[in-house]
Amino acid sequence: MRFIVVRRTKPHPYIKPLIIALSLITGMGLVAILLTLIGAHPFAILVTIAYSFTTPQVVKDMLLLTMLGCALLISFKGAVWNVGAEGQLYTAIIPIVWITLYVAPWSAGSPPHQPILIILASITAAAVFGAMWGAVAGALRAYVGIDEVPVTLIMNYVAYYVVNILVLGPFRGRYVYGYIRTDDLPDAYKLGINVVMQRTGNAFLDGFLEFIRVVVYYAYWVLAAALVALLTWVVFNHTTIGLRIKILGSNPEFLRAVGVDVRKTTVMALALSGLLVGVASAIYYLGDLTRLTYPIQAQTAGYGYLAILVVWLSMLELPLIPLSAYIVSSLRNAGRNMQIFGLGGLESTLVLLGSVLLTYSALRFLTEYEVRVVK
Amino acid sequence: MSYEYVVLKEISKKFAGGVKALDKVTIEIRTGEVLALLGENGAGKSTLVKILYGVYSADEGTIYINEKRVDISSPAEAIRHGIVMVSQHPQLIDTLSVAENLALGLKAFNAFTSIKKVSKFISEKSGKFGVKIDPWEKVWRLTYTQKQLVEMIRAMLLNARVVLLDEALTYLPLEEKRKFYKFIKEFTAKGGSAVIITHKIPEALEAADRIAILRRGRLVGIIEGGSARIDDVRKMMFGESAAEITYGKLQASQPGEEAVIETQDLWITGDFGENAVRGVSLRVREGEVVGIAGIVGNGQRELTQALAGLRKVSRGRILIGGRDVTNRGVRVVREMGVGYIPDSPLAFGISIDNSMTENIAALYQRKSMLVNWSEVREVASSLIEAYKIMIPDAGSLIKVLSGGNIMKVIVSKEINYCRRALIAHNPTRALDEVSAIMVRKSIKERAISDGVAVLLVSEDLDEIYQVSDSIYVMNSGKLYGPFPPDEAERSNVEHLMVI
Repeated sequence: MRFIVVRRTKPHPYIKPLIIALSLITGMGLVAILLTLIGAHPFAILVTIAYSFTTPQVVKDMLLLTMLGCALLISFKGAVWNVGAEGQLYTAIIPIVWITLYVAPWSAGSPPHQPILIILASITAAAVFGAMWGAVAGALRAYVGIDEVPVTLIMNYVAYYVVNILVLGPFRGRYVYGYIRTDDLPDAYKLGINVVMQRTGNAFLDGFLEFIRVVVYYAYWVLAAALVALLTWVVFNHTTIGLRIKILGSNPEFLRAVGVDVRKTTVMALALSGLLVGVASAIYYLGDLTRLTYPIQAQTAGYGYLAILVVWLSMLELPLIPLSAYIVSSLRNAGRNMQIFGLGGLESTLVLLGSVLLTYSALRFLTEYEVRVVK
Repeated sequence: MSYEYVVLKEISKKFAGGVKALDKVTIEIRTGEVLALLGENGAGKSTLVKILYGVYSADEGTIYINEKRVDISSPAEAIRHGIVMVSQHPQLIDTLSVAENLALGLKAFNAFTSIKKVSKFISEKSGKFGVKIDPWEKVWRLTYTQKQLVEMIRAMLLNARVVLLDEALTYLPLEEKRKFYKFIKEFTAKGGSAVIITHKIPEALEAADRIAILRRGRLVGIIEGGSARIDDVRKMMFGESAAEITYGKLQASQPGEEAVIETQDLWITGDFGENAVRGVSLRVREGEVVGIAGIVGNGQRELTQALAGLRKVSRGRILIGGRDVTNRGVRVVREMGVGYIPDSPLAFGISIDNSMTENIAALYQRKSMLVNWSEVREVASSLIEAYKIMIPDAGSLIKVLSGGNIMKVIVSKEINYCRRALIAHNPTRALDEVSAIMVRKSIKERAISDGVAVLLVSEDLDEIYQVSDSIYVMNSGKLYGPFPPDEAERSNVEHLMVI
């Protein structure tokens, strides 16, 4: 009897979600073993991780990471590696701050339709800024031949420092109590639906109600994430640019031979990716962040980088982006909770993410291959 | 006395998409024999030798070497058992010398062995095999035949007991092939074995001691080379379709007056800065099929790429339909209704990680923002039916298809796409006889019925003679001709190809 690895004759319908689930379980097991070795209780670790998958804190991260994951998917499908979502995220906030605080600040005498117009203008401006920021890296790769990975990565830091300069200078707020930050986004421009839930005293019911409250608060985000996912689907399945990006990822020479400008397609892939990051950025700023604080690199939650993990975990499959976003958000949440419950420090978050992703890397080959026993 | 050195027993293999490539195939390879594997496209010939070479693993079945059961899970493992493969495309690094190429992967040398020592070793060994190749010559300077000979020397240096020639001789002219077969005969006379995959039945009959015929993944018979009749072999390979095979000249076109493809004193630089094309001037008129014969590596690739807009021209002009398209890029050429079957089909002809419909849409739907999938699916269905493409459905990924069926997808979409001109470089490579003749007829049909000007570049002289209304020969970047096919002696054309 021997084991042989053979290419699958047809794709297994559920193999991708199965691999993700298996990686998650194995990764959790691994982290439990590792932390047990340094004195933590394995049961407490597993319960904390499992609990972290059900808490309302996951909702916000999952929605934002779904949007960013879709954005990165657009470039990754074309084998154009946009690792600059972090920079695009903050660059896209610049025009929003300018519009909401300086061009059309809210005042008691402002017309009632102004918030809608300003929110739409902010989203549009953020999308344009994100697209432009992405297109710069695309143009450098397409026309000068500079690899987009270091470029987009370096541009993240450029974005941080541009934002810092603005916050230290022209964007520094007047009502900030000595802090170096922008003024708060006017309430009229905030995207969020506040509902007050009465506590019942029943822990389970209160937890559920809190979950509902959070989902309702982020209703605009749910809508935005659904629209971004739909847009991504339309791009890939019904537009020629989406088709070109897919072929760019598998055989750019063929694309050239049918008469398509490969360089323009490369720029478009990064610009479209940046555009969707810009949309996500606007939603994030208008619904949650609401101000920029100096130094930005110390304040960022690193969503732009986490989104890379989301896309990788999804195996570049759009339907799996929300699931991957949920897992990454939950794992991040689990790391936070383990710190709160005294089960480990920051490193426990990293070990947890690392264990899941390591297992995932090892199991990924099962999408195309299967292991058979031969007599 | 010969004995069964390798036995492949009840080998089965399924590919993605559920395509059954091999179904319980049992074949033995004897010492000192040349075994030819014949079969139509998708019959499983390449799959079988790739299993023996460790590129694929069999789903079922066993391999015996010298009566011992072996597991061959990689080419390195196959080489350890004395099995070496030479493919259609030389696996050499162009920028390195012959010695440097051969030093790579040879066990006799390590990282600290000087190239001088390697080259001395190669000179000695190659002299023994009766092949003269300068070990210091850069590979890109070698002719295709020399490159294939270098591959054979590599096999000898690896102490091959069995050499697998997977269409390795397809591009060689008959004379060069004969030299090659002589070389192989000498190898088998010393106790080696050779397995040849070819589409050319007469050659198989001439060179092989035994012929194994596969059809749709099954072994339909093994016959002795000396006693086999070509018609019987064809019938075993193709069944009733064998009746469609003809090498007679196809109906002549009635070309118009206007030149659709025209080049004027064209000079094109090759990949290594050399003048690959030297002052080529030709005219292809409306409805005319102009054939360019020549051995691979004489500037044909550069010429066809420049005509398609993929390569810059250093001097001269290209006119399509009277319009100067010199160095204007592919988009302009394509928009003028030019189809292009490239010399490197997997690089420029198709994207194997995408579906057939996506590949068609990339070419046919270039101008619109949105893809009209129903239109694309309609085109795909008609091509699948017309060209008998074996594909699970039009939405299947190209990579699940056999080499011949991939070629059919490439060729059919380009023949169907062209409105004004078709530049076809080796359009029937990797196709079996029945499919090749079908493609030639389709090309001729487009020329006669729709007035498409066709520039056919091929290393296959049978093809050139069968389809062309006038013939050129390309050698060392220069064009000789035109010659009317009825008057041009085949031996003269072959002579021009090799001078």
